[in-house]
Amino acid sequence: MQIEKSKNKKSKTKRTGKTTSILTIVVYLLLILWGITTVFPFVWVVLNSFKESQEVLTSSFSLPKQATLDNYKEAFEQLNVLNAYKNSLVISGSVTVGVMVLSSMMAFGLTRYEFKGKKIVESIIVASLMFPVFSTIIPVFKMIVTLKLLNTNLAVILPQIAGNLSFATIVMMGFLKSVPIEMEEAAYMEGATVFQVFGKIIVPICKASLSTVAIFSFLWSYNDLFVQKIMIRDNTKFPVSTLLEEISSKYGTDFGLMAASVTLIVFPVLIVYMILQKNIIKGLTAGAIKG
Amino acid sequence: MKKRILSVVLSMAMVMPILAGCGATKAEVATTEATEATATEEAPEAEEAETAEVATEEKAPVTLKTVSMFGGTDPNAPIYEEINKNFMAENAYITVEDNSQVSDEEWKATVAADFSVGNEPDVLQFFTDATANTIIATDKFVTMDEIKAEYPEYAKDTLDAAMAAVTNTDGVSRAVPTTGYWEGLYCNKDLFDQYGLELPTDWASLTEAISVFNENDIIPIACSLNNVPHYWIEFLMLYAAGEEGYKTVPETAPQDWVTGLNTFKTLRDLGAFPEDTDTVDDAYVGQLFKDKKAAMQLDGSWYLGGVTETDNTVVIPFPGIENQKAATGALVGGMSSGFYITKKAWEDPDKRDAAVKFVMAHTNKESVQKYWNGNGQAACAVDPIDGMSPLALSGLDYSSKATSISAPTDSRIDPEAYKVIVAGIVKVSTGELSAEDLLNEALKINAARK
Amino acid sequence: MLYKKKSPLLIFLVPGMVFLFLFMYFPFLENIKNSFYDMTSIVRMPGSEWNYLGFENYKKLFSDQDLKVAILNSLKMMFLTVVFEVGIGFVLAVMVMNIKKGQQIFRTVFFFPIVISATAIGLLFKLFYNFDGGMLNQILLSLGVEKVNWLNPELAFLMVSIPTLWSYVGFYFVILLTGLSDISDDIYEAAEIDGCSKLGQVGYITIPLMKSVIATCITLAVTGALKIFDLPWVIVPNGAPQGVTHFLGTYMYQVTFGMNNYDYGSVLAITIVILGVLVSKLVRLITREN
Repeated sequence: MQIEKSKNKKSKTKRTGKTTSILTIVVYLLLILWGITTVFPFVWVVLNSFKESQEVLTSSFSLPKQATLDNYKEAFEQLNVLNAYKNSLVISGSVTVGVMVLSSMMAFGLTRYEFKGKKIVESIIVASLMFPVFSTIIPVFKMIVTLKLLNTNLAVILPQIAGNLSFATIVMMGFLKSVPIEMEEAAYMEGATVFQVFGKIIVPICKASLSTVAIFSFLWSYNDLFVQKIMIRDNTKFPVSTLLEEISSKYGTDFGLMAASVTLIVFPVLIVYMILQKNIIKGLTAGAIKG
Repeated sequence: MKKRILSVVLSMAMVMPILAGCGATKAEVATTEATEATATEEAPEAEEAETAEVATEEKAPVTLKTVSMFGGTDPNAPIYEEINKNFMAENAYITVEDNSQVSDEEWKATVAADFSVGNEPDVLQFFTDATANTIIATDKFVTMDEIKAEYPEYAKDTLDAAMAAVTNTDGVSRAVPTTGYWEGLYCNKDLFDQYGLELPTDWASLTEAISVFNENDIIPIACSLNNVPHYWIEFLMLYAAGEEGYKTVPETAPQDWVTGLNTFKTLRDLGAFPEDTDTVDDAYVGQLFKDKKAAMQLDGSWYLGGVTETDNTVVIPFPGIENQKAATGALVGGMSSGFYITKKAWEDPDKRDAAVKFVMAHTNKESVQKYWNGNGQAACAVDPIDGMSPLALSGLDYSSKATSISAPTDSRIDPEAYKVIVAGIVKVSTGELSAEDLLNEALKINAARK
Repeated sequence: MLYKKKSPLLIFLVPGMVFLFLFMYFPFLENIKNSFYDMTSIVRMPGSEWNYLGFENYKKLFSDQDLKVAILNSLKMMFLTVVFEVGIGFVLAVMVMNIKKGQQIFRTVFFFPIVISATAIGLLFKLFYNFDGGMLNQILLSLGVEKVNWLNPELAFLMVSIPTLWSYVGFYFVILLTGLSDISDDIYEAAEIDGCSKLGQVGYITIPLMKSVIATCITLAVTGALKIFDLPWVIVPNGAPQGVTHFLGTYMYQVTFGMNNYDYGSVLAITIVILGVLVSKLVRLITREN
C-alpha cells in the first residue's frame, strides 16, 4: 500500500516537472525545520543533564566540557526515581486496562443494541468530555478521603479511568460502527452468547483502535499532574509527574539535576512510543476519524 | 542459622503490614529495628521473641499512629526520625507508625480531612495558632489540664512562657512545643563591604544600599513577590503599625497597615526586587542570595541552615521604614506548633501511656536541645552549643536582643483571609490594586468567619 | 439490530456509567450544592457550621477581575489552538502526504512533544526563559544584547502560548494525516490531468473532503483549550506575572488549593463546565453550517 502510493507520486512528479521539485525542496525544508523544533529541546536537555549546574548557567549550548553522571547519581539517590517509575507504571497500566475494558464494552452496547434512552446515554458520555478534572476534584477528593484511599494508587486510578472513559468510548464507537455486523451474525446464529461474540470476535477486530485508546490513556494518565498531585500526598509514593514537579519546586535552582530528571522521565515514554507508534497511526485511521 | 533467618523473615513479614502506609525509609528503619531485636533475643521463632519482649516489659504491643510536619525536606526531619528510632528501641513494645510530611496547604487540608472523617492519628504535631482552629473545633484533642492531672511529669521541662505561647486561640492549652522561630534580614556582608556600604540600620541607609546595589547590577533584595512575600508583609506591617497596632485584628483596614503594604510599591519602584520577581519562586531567589547575586533576603530562622557561606553572611534587625512606629529590634517570630494527643489515643488505655511517653520523648530537654541546635528559640532551658558559625552567632545575637517578639498575622486571622493578602501583593506593588481594598477584602472574610 | 435479548446490555453499560456518574456527575451536583455555602474546609468538620451564602459567590463572578482575565485568556487560547494547532497540524500533514521519503521519520518526530508530560515541557521552557542564565538570555548575552525578562507582563501570555500550542500540533497532525490517507489518489490524479496546481488541489479537494475530520479536530481543540492547566502552572504559577496569565484551569486551581476558597472554586468549576458545553455547541453549529 505504502509502496504503491509512493510509486504513484513518483509518476506525478515526473509529469509536473520543475515547479514541483522546487516545491518539494521547500516542503522538505519546512518539515525539517519543524522537526528541529520538536527534537532540539530534548537534545538540549540531554546535553545539559551531563553538565554541572553552574555550567548549564554559563554555557548551555556547547557540549559538556566534562561529561558528568553526578546529576543522574543525585537523582537516583535523592529522589526515588525507580520507585516513581514503578508507581507510574502501576497507575497508568491499571488506568489503561480499565479504560480499554470499560470503553469497548460501552461502545459495543451502544452500537449493537437499540433501546430506549440510548440517545440520553450517548449524550451523557459526550457531555463528560466537557468536565475538566479540576471541576470535579474537590468532591472526588472528599470521596477518596472518606473511602480512606488517599495516598493510594487507587485514588488516582479511579478518577483517571472516569476521566479518559468518554474519549475512549467515542473512539471505540466510531470504529465499531464501521465494522460490518455479518461476522458476529454468523457466530450468534450458531449459538454463541453475546459475551463470546464480544470476547472472541469484537475484541480481536478492535485491536488497532484498542491500542489507540491504550496509548492515549497511558500517556494522559502518565502525564496528568493534577490528579496525582492532589491524591498522592506522601512523597514516597509519588508517581513520575509529581516527582518532577517536586524537583522543580525544591531543587528549582539545580538546573543540571532538573535536566537529568526531565531526561529520566521522558525517555522511557519516548521508547515505548516509538515501539507502539505504528499501532497508534493504524488505530487512529480506523477509529477516531469516523467518530 | 537457618532458623534465625526464618525468624528474621517472619518478623519482617509481621512488621511490614503494620508499616504499610508509611515511608520507605521509615519502614526500613523499623524493620532493621525488628531484625536486631529478634537477633539479640536469639529466639528460634519470631513470635516467641515477641512474647519474650512482652514478658519482660509486661506490656501489650501498641501501635502509635503519628503525624508531624517534620517530614520530607524539613530541617527537623532527621532529628525527629532519630528520636523516633531511639524511642522505639527503648520501648520495644511500641511501634511508631509515622506519616510526616512537610507542611504545605494541601497537607494542612488533608490533616483536617482526616479529623473530619475520624481518621485522626494518635499524636499530631501541628500548628497551635489560628491554622488549627478548624481542627480544634472538632474537639478531638486532649487538653493539657487533663493530661497533667494524670501525668504530672508531662511537659515538665517546657518553659512556662513557651507553654503560654502555644495556647490555642480559644485560650485552652493543648500542645507541647519544641522550638520557635524568628524572622530576620540576612545580608551578604561581603557585598556591602565591596561597595563601601554599612549594613542598613534605618530606612535611609536601606534605600541608600538599594540604589547602590542597583547601579552595580546586584539584586538588592532577593524576594519573590508572587511566591513568598510573607516575610515582607509581616515586617512592613509591624514596623508601620508598631507592635500594638500590628497585633490587633480589626474589621476594616487600619491606616498603618495600608502604609506598611504600600511600602511594597516604594521598594519596587526603587528597584529593590529582582527583575523577574513576579514569576520566579522562593527557591530561586534564595539561590540568588546564596550565590551572592543578591544582597539581602528577609527570611526565617529555618533558612539559616541552608546558607553554605557562613562567614560573611549575617542576620541583622529589620532596618525599618519611614515614620515607623515599632522600636528598632522588634521582630516577628514565636512558637506556633506543638505535639497534641488526640482523644482517640487517650481513651484507649494501652495507647494513652504510649502517646504520653512519645510526646515526652520529643519535648524533653534533651530532644529540644537537638531540635534547637542554636537556631531559633527553644521551648526548654537549653545549653549553649560550641562551634557555632559566625552566621549562627549573629542569628542568636539578633534574636536575643529583640525588643519585642510578635507572632505573624496569619496566626491571628483566618487562613483564607491571609491568603487573599498574599495573593494581592504583586498587584499592590505595581499600584494596580490599592492596599486598602486588599486589606478590607481580607478582613471582611476574617470577620465573617468568627 | 442483532441482539434481541436486552439483559446483557446492562452488563455492558452499567460499569462504565457508574464510573461516569461517581466521578463526574455526582461531584458536579455536589459542586452546585457547595457553591451556596461558605466552606471553611474541604470536608465539613464535626462541630463546625458552614454559613449559607445564597448567591453571594455567583455575584462575585461578575466583579472578579482575575476571572475576567482567565476567561479572556482561555477564549484567546481557544482561538489560537484552532488556528495554530489544527492549522499547523493540517499544513504539516498535507506536506508529509506529498513527500516520498522520510514520512515515517516525520511522523515519529512530530509526535514527540505529546509523548512528554506537560510538566516536563513546562520545566524545559522555564529553563529557556529564566532571566538569570536562561537559554534565550544566554543567546542575547553572547550577541552582546541586554538581557530580557521574557516573562514580563507584556510578553508572558505569548511566552506561555508558544509551548502550549507547539506541544499539541503533533496530535492534530497525526489525526489529520490519517484522515488524508483515506482520500483516494485517483482524485488528485484526475485533478492534475485537468491542470490543477498543488495548492489548488488542497483548496478544492483536500479541505472539502476533510471537513468532518477538521470539525472533530476543532471540537477537540476548543474543549482542550478550556482544560489547559499543567503548562501555564509550571511556567507561570498563580497567573504570574501580575495575574495576566490566568487561565480558567489555573485560576480555579489557585482559588481552590492556593487560597482555600473552596466554595468559590466550586462556582468556577461550574462556570468551566457550562462554558465548555456552550462553546462546543457553538462549534458544532458553525461546522455544521459550513
